[in-house]
Amino acid sequence: MRKELLDIAAAAVAAAKQAGASDAFASASRTRSVNFELRNGKLEKVEDSTSRSLGLRLFANGRYSVHSTTDLRPDQVKAFVANGVAITRALQPDPHRKLADRALYPKQLPALDLEDTKLGKLDRDKRMQWLRAMNDRVATAPKVISATSSVNDDTSIVAAVSSNGFQHAYESTSVGYSTSITLDDGERRPEDWMGAWGRHLDTLPAVEGIADEALRLVRARLGMKKGPTKRATMVVDARAAANIVGRLLGPANGGSVQQERSFWRGKIGKQIVSKKLTIVDDPLIARGLGSRPFDGEGIAAAKLPLVEAGVFQNIYVDTYYASKLGQKPTTGSGSNRVVSLGSRGRDALIGAAKDGIYVTSWLGGNMDSTTGDFSLGARGHMIEGGALGAPIGEINVTGNIVELFTNLVEIGNDPWKYSSTLSPTLVFENVQFSGA
Amino acid sequence: MPQFLAGCAKNGASTLPTNPPANPFLAWFGVDEAMLRRVMAELTSRGATHADAYFQHARNNTIVMEDGIVSQAYSNIEQGVGLRVVMGDQVGFAFTEELTEQAMLAAARTAATIASGKPGPRPEQFTYRDDRRGYYQTKVAWSDIGIDKKLPRIQKAEAMTRAGDPTIKKVSVYWSDSEERVMVVNRDGRIVTDARPMARMSVSVTAQKNGVTQSNGSNIAGRRGFEFFDDASLQQVTKEAVERTMVLFDARRPPAGELPVILAAGASGILLHEAIGHGLEADFNRKGTSIYASMLGQKIAPDFCTIIDDAQLDSERGALNVDDEGSETERTVLVENGVLRTYLHDQISADHYKIKSTGSGRRESYKHAPMPRMRCTFMANGPHTREEIIESVKGTGIIAQTFTNGQVQIGAGDYTFYIKNGWLVENGKITAPIKDVNIIGNGPESLKRITMAANDSKLDTGGWTCGKDGQGVPVSQGLPTVLVSKLTVGGENKNA
Repeated sequence: MRKELLDIAAAAVAAAKQAGASDAFASASRTRSVNFELRNGKLEKVEDSTSRSLGLRLFANGRYSVHSTTDLRPDQVKAFVANGVAITRALQPDPHRKLADRALYPKQLPALDLEDTKLGKLDRDKRMQWLRAMNDRVATAPKVISATSSVNDDTSIVAAVSSNGFQHAYESTSVGYSTSITLDDGERRPEDWMGAWGRHLDTLPAVEGIADEALRLVRARLGMKKGPTKRATMVVDARAAANIVGRLLGPANGGSVQQERSFWRGKIGKQIVSKKLTIVDDPLIARGLGSRPFDGEGIAAAKLPLVEAGVFQNIYVDTYYASKLGQKPTTGSGSNRVVSLGSRGRDALIGAAKDGIYVTSWLGGNMDSTTGDFSLGARGHMIEGGALGAPIGEINVTGNIVELFTNLVEIGNDPWKYSSTLSPTLVFENVQFSGA
Repeated sequence: MPQFLAGCAKNGASTLPTNPPANPFLAWFGVDEAMLRRVMAELTSRGATHADAYFQHARNNTIVMEDGIVSQAYSNIEQGVGLRVVMGDQVGFAFTEELTEQAMLAAARTAATIASGKPGPRPEQFTYRDDRRGYYQTKVAWSDIGIDKKLPRIQKAEAMTRAGDPTIKKVSVYWSDSEERVMVVNRDGRIVTDARPMARMSVSVTAQKNGVTQSNGSNIAGRRGFEFFDDASLQQVTKEAVERTMVLFDARRPPAGELPVILAAGASGILLHEAIGHGLEADFNRKGTSIYASMLGQKIAPDFCTIIDDAQLDSERGALNVDDEGSETERTVLVENGVLRTYLHDQISADHYKIKSTGSGRRESYKHAPMPRMRCTFMANGPHTREEIIESVKGTGIIAQTFTNGQVQIGAGDYTFYIKNGWLVENGKITAPIKDVNIIGNGPESLKRITMAANDSKLDTGGWTCGKDGQGVPVSQGLPTVLVSKLTVGGENKNA
């Protein structure tokens, strides 16, 4: 399969050159995805499909365009490439468009252990066994209206070939399971979930614990009240922290900065947020959910410090925007974003906060990437006397993301592992909540 | 590329009694009836209450103008078939992008594993419905328009935007056009086809004044052809993009807490989409997970509230000739004079409730199984006027004007929408622009708090995409000017 995909990519590059392109970068991929879902003891959904696609970046006469197709029949690929070259020629020239510098390509790929070869042996019986085990823990518990457990796994290969010497492929897998539960609570029907994902089966915790935790979380939502309007300390659960870390890093990219739609513009090398905050983008973590040997342009994976002790260090910038900004490319997109850990866990941080609001999940909301002004819906619990209090919901958290991270006072030691943004519990002071 | 039969069945469906020599859709996908018969037999080999094959070819073109030049273009082709077996509430699904008989049979076998009974009925004869009922008539088809025709329109939009204000520093224009060919083959032998166009233009603006930078934008969309991007459309989208950006320099945050909220006519239909629309999708109700699951037939809003989800509005983004299960679409009255009348149904939930599908079974593509989804959701006119509504606000309130996104928790009923631009209202007068405010409320509570609705209902022209279970589908929304007496406003109070 690896050879077949490399051949498809190479043929697309050759066809592009033949059709008049000066350069081309092609990537061919194949993914098998399997998804089983069991609800209230009954198998509700079985999905199993294999998808293939070809992506092509074309350069002709200083012009550029990008194309993709799922129709990989050779005659269709030829027509697809010719059409792509014709589109490219119709555009205006742009001196900043070129392939990545071949010196940035990997010489050989790092061993990242992204593939679990045992996943190929995962059969229907094993999936059903997990689903039943999760279901049996929770489906007949009091107040349960609906309990859905699911198992997902993906097996992928990506192969890429360029006209300036790139030719690599890699396999990766991911597997995970989760349970989500809705309870009867009078008029309201609170819902929550728990899940675990990994590159390898043997890194996953037991399914029973996942189901038990989902039930514990949703039971904690019973009797939820509308939260208050006040300024208060906000403790953000590790699972919810990826959202706001992601918002801080969202505008840290070449396109937004060059288009002057980013509060990161003009801030590199300056102390901008709390000294407690350090974030590194690390694509080289063995078995990491966001790990990869090279990026979409073929640039070899490398660690990229984004924030160091509150100083904005680097942005994600690809070859095109690096040329426009007059700097060197880093990489066009994020991989694993790792927040440096503090020394205490969630309970100690809630204890230290004394009074405030503990946010467990967000609902909607948005941020202006130019100014950093944000407003987000939230739910969680009151913190009273250093302990978790009543469940609350229907509140907004509003402010400016840079000010919020300036008011970051402590970081936990308990990262949520099942995301490519690895953040622990975060504590912020003087945060505006709006509720009742 | 094969051509499609032109001019057949503009209004009303046409049923061809015999096997046409070269059905354009069969030819397009390179399949014939004998092959379909074998695939459907495999799909129903272990029994099925429903079974379908959803063939789709989708082509999208995107062109970007940035920093004064049109130097980025993207094209995307997705072609495949999704094979589905339904057994009561259970679904088996697989898709393949290889439209060979061998690959389709393999996918059909996988989908069939959801069932475990005897072979079910399968089609021996096929009937054809080219169900192009004309809800998205286009004058100039996208397949007839080369990139050379599009560039001048993009450049014109960019120039119009730049001319909008001397403080504008950056302008980006995103152009997107697409065409989809859909063919649904049902277990009962019905083959239903549809050709769906889509057009969208989005304009982003960054301006700088006294060292402060602000950016914003606007977009317009519809199931339209090339003629959509005429001067009037460009004028509208570029003017909106500039105005929405320039007003941010004077905008502030409203106070935090519960305030009266006036929803401006048009895009504020996002209120309906989040506060009630998702909660009425029948899959959530069949499972009992929606807060609306036990409210059918009940009075849930004031008498003047009639809420409709309509697939038949001409060239709207959410318009559909047929749904993605091949069912006829309709104008579905969800709430009639305040009473909850029906949920939005696909075939599974229609069977569950023993009624007819509302034609709401939709999917993002052949890679997904369909679910009940909204199409074009709006509220009919109310008895008041916009002026009366604004004047009625004593003390402090806000007007919500433009939006970026929203979300809902189906069971708890809590929902949000994000206001990008709006206005502060003090003692019946508009006093200042506001920005970046999240609104959070509870669906059933908010409906009860709708105290006024004006006679100015209109649909938004922006391009909304609704997400559910990882599937995005195009939708439209609309509203008259509406007053909700109390909603939680994500503002800021300066004092600790």
